[in-house]
Amino acid sequence: MTFLYFDPGLGAMIAQGLVAIVAGIVLFSKNALFKIKSMLGLVKEDDYDGIDIDEADADEDEEDK
Amino acid sequence: MKKISKKHESSFRDPSGYVFYDGDILRRRILPIYFKQYKALSETGFFKTLSRKGLLVSHTLTSENENEIIITPEEIPFITYPYEWGFEQYKQAALLTLKIQKYALTKGFWLKDASAYNVTMYQGKPIFIDSLSFDFYEEGTPWRAYKQFITHFFGPLVLSKYFGSDMIKMMQSHIDGIPLQLISSMLPSKTKLSPTLQSNIHLLARLEGKHNDDYKGETKVSKLSLKALNTILDSLYDYIIKLQFKDATEWGDYYSKTNYDAQSFEAKKKLIKEWVLPLKAKRIIDVGGNDGTFARALDSDAHLIVTDIDVNAVDQNFKKAQAQTEDNMLAFVSDVLQPSPAIGFNNTERESLIERLEKYAPDVTMALALIHHITLSGNVPFDKSASFFASFSEHLIIEFPKREDSWVGSLLIRKREFINHFDFYNESHFEEEYKQYFVLEKKEIIVGTSRLLYYFKKK
Repeated sequence: MTFLYFDPGLGAMIAQGLVAIVAGIVLFSKNALFKIKSMLGLVKEDDYDGIDIDEADADEDEEDK
Repeated sequence: MKKISKKHESSFRDPSGYVFYDGDILRRRILPIYFKQYKALSETGFFKTLSRKGLLVSHTLTSENENEIIITPEEIPFITYPYEWGFEQYKQAALLTLKIQKYALTKGFWLKDASAYNVTMYQGKPIFIDSLSFDFYEEGTPWRAYKQFITHFFGPLVLSKYFGSDMIKMMQSHIDGIPLQLISSMLPSKTKLSPTLQSNIHLLARLEGKHNDDYKGETKVSKLSLKALNTILDSLYDYIIKLQFKDATEWGDYYSKTNYDAQSFEAKKKLIKEWVLPLKAKRIIDVGGNDGTFARALDSDAHLIVTDIDVNAVDQNFKKAQAQTEDNMLAFVSDVLQPSPAIGFNNTERESLIERLEKYAPDVTMALALIHHITLSGNVPFDKSASFFASFSEHLIIEFPKREDSWVGSLLIRKREFINHFDFYNESHFEEEYKQYFVLEKKEIIVGTSRLLYYFKKK
């Protein structure tokens, strides 16, 4: 059971389906553009980590200790 | 004997449990309603992985019975609030929240709330501090904290992109996040052409407005697949990574415009170091410390707080501390003339800066190149600023630019016909007033300048 202690907003719950479709299109076109750019050697390195957490890394850290 | 146990004033919104003071130690009481979640999160190693990665504050299990589980989180020396963060800090806190949400989903959990107060700055990075913000993921359900993420994180960041980082301070007047309709109405109309902003802000604001009156709960919420939810998270992450705020400046030399030649600059650093190091301070604060240059010059292991009114200086300090892994550096935005007030329910939910500083009790306070701004720009008399510093500092290192100093000169000229009202701005009056609260220990002129450095000890 989930107990929610604040209003998630009905509109916001409904919106997510549409938001996801738009996000999918944006990411798809971005990835396509990225592929073209990398073929042309125009890709710059990003300063930030990606969204995904690398667990293997965490295990290694533990072994180091 | 009954232990003193005081519920922390900020911890009442979530029925899963709350934070309390057990004497001086901050602990978290988990109530039976959250036992299942807590056990699953602990047993699967979820908490451990995140805290080992430095993304979630670690905790130890203190006691456990059928009525409560008590955990003790790792102590964080100083809690900063979202409205005190620089843009870069805010951005990284938002990215952290998305990262944790996405990771949680891979383990069958998710964030049940996305409040910006779940995050604070610790060891040069944002860290998630609310261990009870997780719940079991429910297949097909849209993310209940999505709107909160937009009003707490995405909205303030996007507003900063268009109107500058001052927008972050709006969080001070909107403890529950900036209202969607407000974000949407403030943004320039060209943002409606951006698919990400149109969908995550404008459309959201419209739908929220439309369904606001559904008191009966008749509207059906359609399902959202896990894949679709992940797509939303990925696209928000992608968008936020690229965000810059409007008045951002490049990494620059902050001291090129000051009244120092290289020699005086070094002399000042040396003098401060000589005075501060023998005090063996554990906690040092540099008020108006710009990008942290002088705090760094101390070369001390103490916990360092550097505050400044300039978001760019704070951002640069934060980035520098990250690049050099200076875990002891905490930078945040603060205006000495208007420190953060206490806000929220009963005015106690978020503490004022002064309350937090009193608890933090720095051993040394530095106020360099600041008094002329407080006194001449802020019109704050010396006895007022002395009492302010005395409220939290044991040892005060303060720089006093004399009237001959060109900065002081230009501040005085701006007073025009009222210039005589500021005749009190002089060395002897300064000393006299500060001696009401402090004992003057040392005083020296900074070589090659019209500036004096003082070391005062609290009476």
